[in-house]
Amino acid sequence: MKFIVITLIFLTANTIHSQTAYEKGMAKAFELWENKSPDEAINLFERIAKAEKENWIPYYYAAQIHITTSFNIKEATEIESRLKKAQNYINEAKTFSTDNAEILIMEAMLNTAYVAYNPSVYGPTLSAKIEALYQKAKNLEPNNPRAILYHAEWNMGAAKFWGKDPMSFCPEIEKAILYFEKEPKNKIAFYPSWGVHQAERVQKNCN
Amino acid sequence: MKSPLLNILFFISFSTIAQTTITGKVTDKQNTAIIGANVYLEGTYDGGSTDEQGNFSFSTSAKGPQTLTVSFLSFETYTLRAAVSEMENVNITIREDVNSLGSVILNAGTLSAGDNSKASVLTPLDIVTTAGAAGDYIAALQTLPGTSNVSEDGRLFVRGGDANETNIFIDGLRVFQPFLATTNNIPTRGRFSSFLFKGTNFSTGGYSAEYGDALSSVLLLNTIDEPDQEKSELQFLNVGIGGGNTQKWNNNSLSVNAFYINLKPYQGIIEQRVDWIKPYESLSGEAVYRHSFANDGLLKIYGGLNYTNFELIQEDINVADGINFGLKNRNLYLNTSYKGNLGNDWDIATGASFANDYSDIKITNTEVTDDENSFHAKVKVRKRFSNRFKISIGTEQFLNTFSEKAEDPDFDIPFNTTFNNNSTAVFAEANVFFSKKLAMQIGTRGVYNTLLKDTKISPRASLAYKTTSKSQISLAYGDFYQAPQQNVLKFNSLLEPEKSSHYILNYLYQNDGRTFRAEGYYKTYESLIKFDTEIPQFDSTFNNDGKGYATGVDIFWRDNTSIKNLEYWASYSYLDTKRNYRNYPEKATPNFAATHNLSLVTKYWVQDWKSMIGATYNFASGRPYNNPNERTFQNQTTKSFNAINLSWAYLISQQKILYFSVSNILDFDNVFNYQYSNTPDPSGNFSRRAIRPNADQFFILGFFWTISDDKSDNQLDNL
Repeated sequence: MKFIVITLIFLTANTIHSQTAYEKGMAKAFELWENKSPDEAINLFERIAKAEKENWIPYYYAAQIHITTSFNIKEATEIESRLKKAQNYINEAKTFSTDNAEILIMEAMLNTAYVAYNPSVYGPTLSAKIEALYQKAKNLEPNNPRAILYHAEWNMGAAKFWGKDPMSFCPEIEKAILYFEKEPKNKIAFYPSWGVHQAERVQKNCN
Repeated sequence: MKSPLLNILFFISFSTIAQTTITGKVTDKQNTAIIGANVYLEGTYDGGSTDEQGNFSFSTSAKGPQTLTVSFLSFETYTLRAAVSEMENVNITIREDVNSLGSVILNAGTLSAGDNSKASVLTPLDIVTTAGAAGDYIAALQTLPGTSNVSEDGRLFVRGGDANETNIFIDGLRVFQPFLATTNNIPTRGRFSSFLFKGTNFSTGGYSAEYGDALSSVLLLNTIDEPDQEKSELQFLNVGIGGGNTQKWNNNSLSVNAFYINLKPYQGIIEQRVDWIKPYESLSGEAVYRHSFANDGLLKIYGGLNYTNFELIQEDINVADGINFGLKNRNLYLNTSYKGNLGNDWDIATGASFANDYSDIKITNTEVTDDENSFHAKVKVRKRFSNRFKISIGTEQFLNTFSEKAEDPDFDIPFNTTFNNNSTAVFAEANVFFSKKLAMQIGTRGVYNTLLKDTKISPRASLAYKTTSKSQISLAYGDFYQAPQQNVLKFNSLLEPEKSSHYILNYLYQNDGRTFRAEGYYKTYESLIKFDTEIPQFDSTFNNDGKGYATGVDIFWRDNTSIKNLEYWASYSYLDTKRNYRNYPEKATPNFAATHNLSLVTKYWVQDWKSMIGATYNFASGRPYNNPNERTFQNQTTKSFNAINLSWAYLISQQKILYFSVSNILDFDNVFNYQYSNTPDPSGNFSRRAIRPNADQFFILGFFWTISDDKSDNQLDNL
């Protein structure tokens, strides 16, 4: 009897320990990101990803930080090396999770970053690809608010370029906000659920 | 009350996570501290980033031997296997990743157009939006340095070489008849639709040992791996109509397209210098199937079928009524390639191509039928020992059967000829990066030709050194052999391959959308074919005694950033070449080789008009020609060549484009060459006829419509 109790305690102690390590690590990485240490956050996500072996989520966030950081950089080589690295993280994420709408959305954002960085070179070559990625994400998860939001924002940019009314995509933004509110909490820890603030920011342009 | 046993248990449990501190410093080879590198123990969450001095420090509960990993953007990942207890004050030097941005590139001789190539001078879009190119990728390449403007021909003349000295490959496999069938002074076009390709490497010399049987140049075209989306495309032009469709399912995709050209309505409106009996008509269809395998392997199968038909009267100074020339040509081309991973850092690229070309030619009363079958198979494997050292080895087989039958009322019996020109080649190449700044490629190629019963070994080498973060110099050397052309082999096969040697020095400067490239070269020709008649014929005497040289400087400048919405590039080529070949009595500069060639290509996007307006200016100094009234052979030059071409693509909506282009808008009167009569007139003078374009200008008006689910893709990249 005593043996069983001891063994149980031992096992529980260890499982709690390993679970918290992942959760603690992830929480620490988000904290670094919030505290304006994006590169340290990337490093930590990368370490977690390497240790976790088959978890796409840390790779996903490492890619996201590179992509969002690239928007605020002017120097061409740094932008390109960050985006290249982000693509590598996305490729890793894809090997652990196929047909994942969240990863496809992130890949579409990555390609959008290329277009934003050099529209004349990447605009004509990547537009169709970005569109196809959003379409595929929406096919997998028609109610995914990030897919709706970022696809609409991309279309608004295109409409502006073509001299059409970007406001015609405002109902899509409303729809995204609605789906953000309805978005069920995923059972997987740290599953992407961000974006509602971005939606509200875009919505301001609609008024 | 807690049992003491549990306390002990807790203690043990915690003691297993007792901490060791790991410390050290990360620097590069120059001993500069690396800031922000990721240092961690593999398989644990334990790690940290290096600080401003390159120092790191973190604690871990891991015990015993562990792997310490250091990773950092654009550096090679470093690993150290040691006991945790020994990981104190470790000094780590990491090496730059030679595959990263900013590494030196082996680019002597090469001009690449692609998304991914670091040395790209053009994007795939540029190839087809160049004014005057009319959607022909070959015509766009003629705005690059190293090419000569020979616009009555349409093929690529590189650095003093004639058009036969350039070979074209699709996905590494030979294309046997890359150009539409045509005749003298009617310019040809590339046979393949430009939208199949995602990248192009155009080598004007010093190319890899993988490619042979070309004295001057190779053009490497790579087809798209995976189309972005399903779509249909329609093209309506004043000279023809076309359509295409792309389907995707699972790991497969299929693209088909067809195009029909008929110049009859056009030539009814625009006056031509040539008397067309049957205006140019051509029907072509292409299909590409692609399949990607779970192991990253990629299979591509391409098939193209083309039919061309025309008849005209060619002006000739010696024949009062002109020469009646008619041609019916049918060409089938198949190309299957596979590239994949064999594991353990071995890659394979293999494939085969086949072409059948059938021509039915009528020259006045002579009927000629040509039938040619060609086959190429290649296997190449590459072992990657590290990012810094790779070796490729490969073998290839060429089979070629040509047969010709000529019938004429004056002949007693039909003239029949047939030959098999087969060859086997092996090649090996090593690619070495000594550092991010210095790289070398060295290779050799051996070929045995069964028709000529001849073996040739050719060495190839190139070296590149990065002088500053934005500039580099590179060198290349190589020997190149090419079997004599079909028009010679059909009369004589007791000849040797022709030979050239290239010496190239290249300087490249790239800075934020600006590229400057200067390349100097010296090229020698040996064993060129000579014969003692006007053209090769059954009673000619042939030998390999021809010789020649070509030397020059090619300059390229491109700027995408200085003026908003304007992209432009300028190419200038200086060429000094002389050769004694064919029936030349002495060394002379051939008619196709102008000393100075200049192209200025501009593209301006007008946002308010939703229009891409392009203008191209081409200049070539006068071309040499032979005047039999003069004592010296080939000592006259024509006047210089000038043309300004304009194009305007108006985007009606995202998927509908209206396109208009006109070549030689200022209507310059260009002369390419002169033909002299065979016999002098009573006063002892040879009279002449100017060889001029068959029309001074060419107009294209087209409407391009893309239909896809997302409504965003268009055919701007096909124009």
